[in-house]
Amino acid sequence: MSAGAVRVVIADDDADIRALVSIAVGKAGLDLVAAVADGDQAWLALQEHHPDLAVLDVSMPGMTGLELCRLIRADAALAGLHIVLLSAAVDDQARAAGFEAGADEFFLKPFSPREFAAWLSDFMVPEK
Amino acid sequence: MRRFSLSIMRRLSVDTPSTALKQLPTVIAFVIAVLLAFLLPDMITRPIAVFRGSVVMVVATALSLFFAGRGRVTAWALLVPGLDLFAIALLRTGTGGTTSLFSALIILPVLWVAAEKGRRWVVVTAVGTSLALMVPYVVDWRWPADIAEWLRGVFSPFVFGVAAAIINELSRQARQQLVSIQRLARDREVRLKETLSLADQLKENEQRLNAADRFTRSVLDAVTEQSVIGTDLTGLIDVWNPGAAVMLGLPATETQGKRHIYDFHLDEELENRSRELNYPPGATVLNPGFSALVESARLGRAEVRDWTYVRTDGSSVSVAVAVTPRVDEDDATVGYIFVATDVTQALEVARLKDEFVGLISHELRTPLSSILGYLELLRDDDESPLSEEQLQYLNVAERNAHRLLRLVGDLLFTAQVTSGKFPLDISQVVLNEVVAAAVQSAGPVGSAAGVELILHLPEDSIVVRADAVRLGQACDNLISNAIKFTPRDGTVTVSLGSTDTDAVITVLDTGMGIAASELDQLYARFFRASTATRNAVPGVGLGLTITKAIVIAHDGELDVDSEEGVGTAFSMSIPLPRRS
Repeated sequence: MSAGAVRVVIADDDADIRALVSIAVGKAGLDLVAAVADGDQAWLALQEHHPDLAVLDVSMPGMTGLELCRLIRADAALAGLHIVLLSAAVDDQARAAGFEAGADEFFLKPFSPREFAAWLSDFMVPEK
Repeated sequence: MRRFSLSIMRRLSVDTPSTALKQLPTVIAFVIAVLLAFLLPDMITRPIAVFRGSVVMVVATALSLFFAGRGRVTAWALLVPGLDLFAIALLRTGTGGTTSLFSALIILPVLWVAAEKGRRWVVVTAVGTSLALMVPYVVDWRWPADIAEWLRGVFSPFVFGVAAAIINELSRQARQQLVSIQRLARDREVRLKETLSLADQLKENEQRLNAADRFTRSVLDAVTEQSVIGTDLTGLIDVWNPGAAVMLGLPATETQGKRHIYDFHLDEELENRSRELNYPPGATVLNPGFSALVESARLGRAEVRDWTYVRTDGSSVSVAVAVTPRVDEDDATVGYIFVATDVTQALEVARLKDEFVGLISHELRTPLSSILGYLELLRDDDESPLSEEQLQYLNVAERNAHRLLRLVGDLLFTAQVTSGKFPLDISQVVLNEVVAAAVQSAGPVGSAAGVELILHLPEDSIVVRADAVRLGQACDNLISNAIKFTPRDGTVTVSLGSTDTDAVITVLDTGMGIAASELDQLYARFFRASTATRNAVPGVGLGLTITKAIVIAHDGELDVDSEEGVGTAFSMSIPLPRRS
């Protein structure tokens, strides 16, 4: 992976989903720096790696995706971090709550890995 | 009582002394007269006449006894005084004729006859006396010798007539008095009876009232799981049942007449409700919170609303309160009744259910996400492409995973509908587009099933205020149902139209139809028509429940018209925005 690539941290308590997101990230040509299973580990990974993008599950053990989101937005050191939330919820309220907490994009499960990878590529193009 | 008054009446009656009793003075006087006539010298001038008179008197007396024995006195009884007169006339004839000492005896039967009811008896008396006085002339077979004798025959009857008239009048008055006395006595008896029955009725009413009161009280006391609180128009408490005591921790003695219902409400809730209702006028302008509390009841509508009761120690309890007006006999509102049910537990159950449904939905959707995601990866694997056969297997797996996903979504949605959490995202919606999109997306399924889809759209756009996604979902449900229940080569016609007030979307199929007996269960959760099970049409029975809920949430109506073996038509009516 090149040093200029977009660096990504993934957090999801479901290992298969985590792997699926990792594959999509790989397909989009981004650099996966950490894939963790709960909110607390995610926080540590973010502090450690200072990635460009965080893909967070909304409901996780420890801190939830939403809590993590607010914490990130309150931390000046993590300014500029893009956040994508993943949720198994079905209503629009969850989406609204996600954006309110500071997310840049919100994906509902089940999501298409193909479309997710395409979105990741498009989203990160202007950064390059 | 009755027997007593009757005996009084009998004693007072003029007509009641028996004929024998009436005859008695005449007989005694006659006997004395006859005795005197025999004892005194030269009294009897014609012994035969005295004898005949005595015989007549005996007959008269016998007759009087006969009538007395008969009980009922008739006019025929007057034969007795008539005979008396005749007997006296004969006695008089036998004891000196017109100069007889015993002329005065005539007065006795005269009294009897004259006292009879009716003025004619005065005339009868006069004529009778006159005839009696004339008897001596008849016996002697001669005319009265001089004026004095004529006068004796006329004047004496005149005097007797006058006496008879006086007696007749007096007895008439006495009779009238008797009648009025009898009437008074009867009236009094009737009054007395009325008073007695009234007293009985009053007693009965009192007992009934007491029973009703005891019943109400025992019902109120028996309601221990609900608080029943009654107030006057200002909210001052006057009824406080044991349920209220348990729920709010105060006995009736500390609340009745001392506290107001709003003392137990959360001020904030009352203020909010008052604002919502735009400060209703109500009976107590000074207390808008209380007015808001009773507004619906005041307007005659039954209302059950969730409130929070606050106990005196500051703790609170969630309650559903039904407010109803109390009315007096003229139907005027005199206060209110508040029946409150503790819903803390119900709310907790609802919360747990929501939580459970949310959890299940999440837990089911996560593995489905993996299944669908990895299936897609398989399909998209460019390095080792799948064979045609493998791709077909993949399609089946994907289709079924989607089916599961839809089912989970429907279940979650149904749970939201039943718990009343059903958010609508309202905007201006062009129904033509919604209907067209639904028909278009059903196209592949329709052609796979061999069912022709026909779409009728009006030329003008029909715009309503609605949730486009939910309405689309409702259309999808109706169309996919219609396709599922229509055999190969049938048609499904989807049309959009409007009435003055509503936009109407109709989905008509040529399918197997629904039995009339099942139409009313159609919208029940998990209900499946017998035609569906018989023909092995897949589904769990949530589609129509959801469709109905969506239509209702839009203040619309869902109607169905079906004939088994012919087809079914579902019509969704969504109200058009009012033109102002």
